[in-house]
Amino acid sequence: MKVAFLVNDLQLSGGIGVVVQHALQLVRHHGFEVALVLVREQDDPHWAYDPLEDLRILSLPQACEQRYDVAVATWWETTFSLFDVPAERYAYFVQSLEDRFYEPDAAERLGAGLTIDLPVAFITEASWIAQTLRDLRPDALCMIVRNGIDKDVFAIAERVEVRLQSAPLRVLVEGNPRSWFKHVHDAIDAVEAMREPHHLTVVCGDRVGLGDVRADSVVGPLAPAEMAALYGDSDVLLKLSSVEGMFGPPLEAFHRGATCVTTAVTGNDEYIEHGWNALICDWDDRHGTARALDLLARDRALLHFLRANAADTARGWPDWRQQGGLMALALRRIRDAAPPDGVAAARALTSDLSAGVRLYASHMQQRNEFAHQAHAVSRLRNHPLMVRARHVRDRRWARALTWPLRRLAPGMLRRLLGP
Amino acid sequence: MTDWQERITAGSDPSVRAEHTLRYAVAAPIVAEAATWCDLGCGTGLAASWATDGPFGGRLVLVDVDEASVAQAAAHLGAAGTTPLRADLNDADDRAAVRAAMLEGDAPRAITCFEVLEHVRDLPAVVELLVELTIAHETTVVLSVPNDAFWAIENPYHETTWSAAAFDELRAMLPEGHVFAEQLPLRGSRITVHGEASDAAPGSVEPHEGAVASHFIAAFGPAARALHGAATIFEADQRGERGWTRQRESNLAYLEAELVALRAALRATAAEMDDWRRYIHDLEDRLGLPRAGSEEAMANERRAGS
Repeated sequence: MKVAFLVNDLQLSGGIGVVVQHALQLVRHHGFEVALVLVREQDDPHWAYDPLEDLRILSLPQACEQRYDVAVATWWETTFSLFDVPAERYAYFVQSLEDRFYEPDAAERLGAGLTIDLPVAFITEASWIAQTLRDLRPDALCMIVRNGIDKDVFAIAERVEVRLQSAPLRVLVEGNPRSWFKHVHDAIDAVEAMREPHHLTVVCGDRVGLGDVRADSVVGPLAPAEMAALYGDSDVLLKLSSVEGMFGPPLEAFHRGATCVTTAVTGNDEYIEHGWNALICDWDDRHGTARALDLLARDRALLHFLRANAADTARGWPDWRQQGGLMALALRRIRDAAPPDGVAAARALTSDLSAGVRLYASHMQQRNEFAHQAHAVSRLRNHPLMVRARHVRDRRWARALTWPLRRLAPGMLRRLLGP
Repeated sequence: MTDWQERITAGSDPSVRAEHTLRYAVAAPIVAEAATWCDLGCGTGLAASWATDGPFGGRLVLVDVDEASVAQAAAHLGAAGTTPLRADLNDADDRAAVRAAMLEGDAPRAITCFEVLEHVRDLPAVVELLVELTIAHETTVVLSVPNDAFWAIENPYHETTWSAAAFDELRAMLPEGHVFAEQLPLRGSRITVHGEASDAAPGSVEPHEGAVASHFIAAFGPAARALHGAATIFEADQRGERGWTRQRESNLAYLEAELVALRAALRATAAEMDDWRRYIHDLEDRLGLPRAGSEEAMANERRAGS
């Protein structure tokens, strides 16, 4: 069976790592012929994923010369090229509802949201996404294949060692600091608000984006094996994300005997149980989060209970081989199923487009009103009297004259006169 | 040493025997209507024989990876036409042999596949075989997997790991209209009044919301709707339970006592060391020597060493 997975790039990221793992399982254990199709020109060299040499990596024009049983989009922008690739069936591997990655008035938000209206079959990796897709697209075939875990790399310790209070609580924060929904800096702030002794390690591949932070150690980017070792050395992973797909990092930490303090972010309900294998904290609650971490630092029996149960939870999670088998079943089912209902897809698309256009129109109206007001202020500022006032405003006599005004309404003169 | 109870024998834990037998019992109406019945992973056939009323009237295909178990199953089940088949479902040729044996028998067909999928490496191939027999050859399949996520132990014999979420994934690959069931473990009790004949049947048990299943079951195929709910009771292994409970409590008590003794010994040793330290410092002060461990004493040691 020939399958093409369309990807934007092959840089180090959780999403691409999942696609690469599935592709490898399909090739190695299920006799699939798999191509990773790069849908855009590459600026940077690929991340050195160990087994990439086992896979065919094609450009979009190269892929268009082939014919596939199933072509699979893996990120909303890759759907732009999906239907250019000749295939019997088209599928969309949805790893998150990607419109949530963008601010409310970003054009990408509307674009990403519309892609789930396409006439495709869906495969997703989290129950909450599957449920959402089934609600939004009851006409479409939707299957769930959760991510596996590389049990060789993230090996589960036979016995979780007890860590007594003699050492500070080892806290790990990871994530892309430029992604607003990862809240990496909020996590670092929460650790800083702790009262009990602690040691903070931040894993981040983007030091510029991270900026200056108060951490005992900043490392990264890390390969999976290095990440596994770091989880093994940590007591707790702190995640304050507001958007997640399957929420993989805590599960990897569980495998290595670390517990997690997290928000009730989407995906957490796949395996996290508050008070059993992790602690769930409130949203935007820096001090509450710090107190949860303090509790773990003080109560090492509780810490061990959570860590031991986290490792047990990890034991019940499937590996990549099992999930690769399910992906093979899903793709064969898509190939054998009837083509998607184009009319139902078009109905969903036009309905969402209509709502999106109305939203866009209201944003544009607001923007035009602001522009109109800004124009009036600008005309006032450019008036010759105002220009003259700007020239003299820093003189001693002018400052003395305007002192009462500056006291009563600080900043008003600056706003009126401009910089 | 953990006994994984991968094969049901007369000596198996009563709870394991009961839950295994019950699965065959709920599949019995489907099997009874079939002209051909294949028991994948038949083991010794004991649980199936306990759940069925006498020998199976049609063609019986018994499949297991262990040849001796297949022979025992054939003896226990004693059907008129039995095809014993040693087969490893991970092997494509063996799967083909199972398929051929099934198709040699008449329709309608039934397959029981209890506690097998977790032992299978090539899960897609086995699932596709079952689905193909269902769709194309008038076969009804009843399968089960354990809820590994709740056992929290790593079973060395299991190739795949199952949980409610994992079973949901599998169900998405099964034909539409399949029947889903959960098996819940029960505990019970009975009072016997001596000299009085009484009905031992317990009242019905309504599972509470959030009850955790020990196994997940799915049936698919033309007769899948014949799968019915049932419950069973069994005599608890009081001696066995008492044994491991007492062993655990005894070990815990022993270790707690040992911890107390070790802590006391540590405190005594620390106090003794403090006495010695004071005595040595007193001597050092009297002799006009720097105190051991002080920076001056360490500098002297370094000089003497060099």
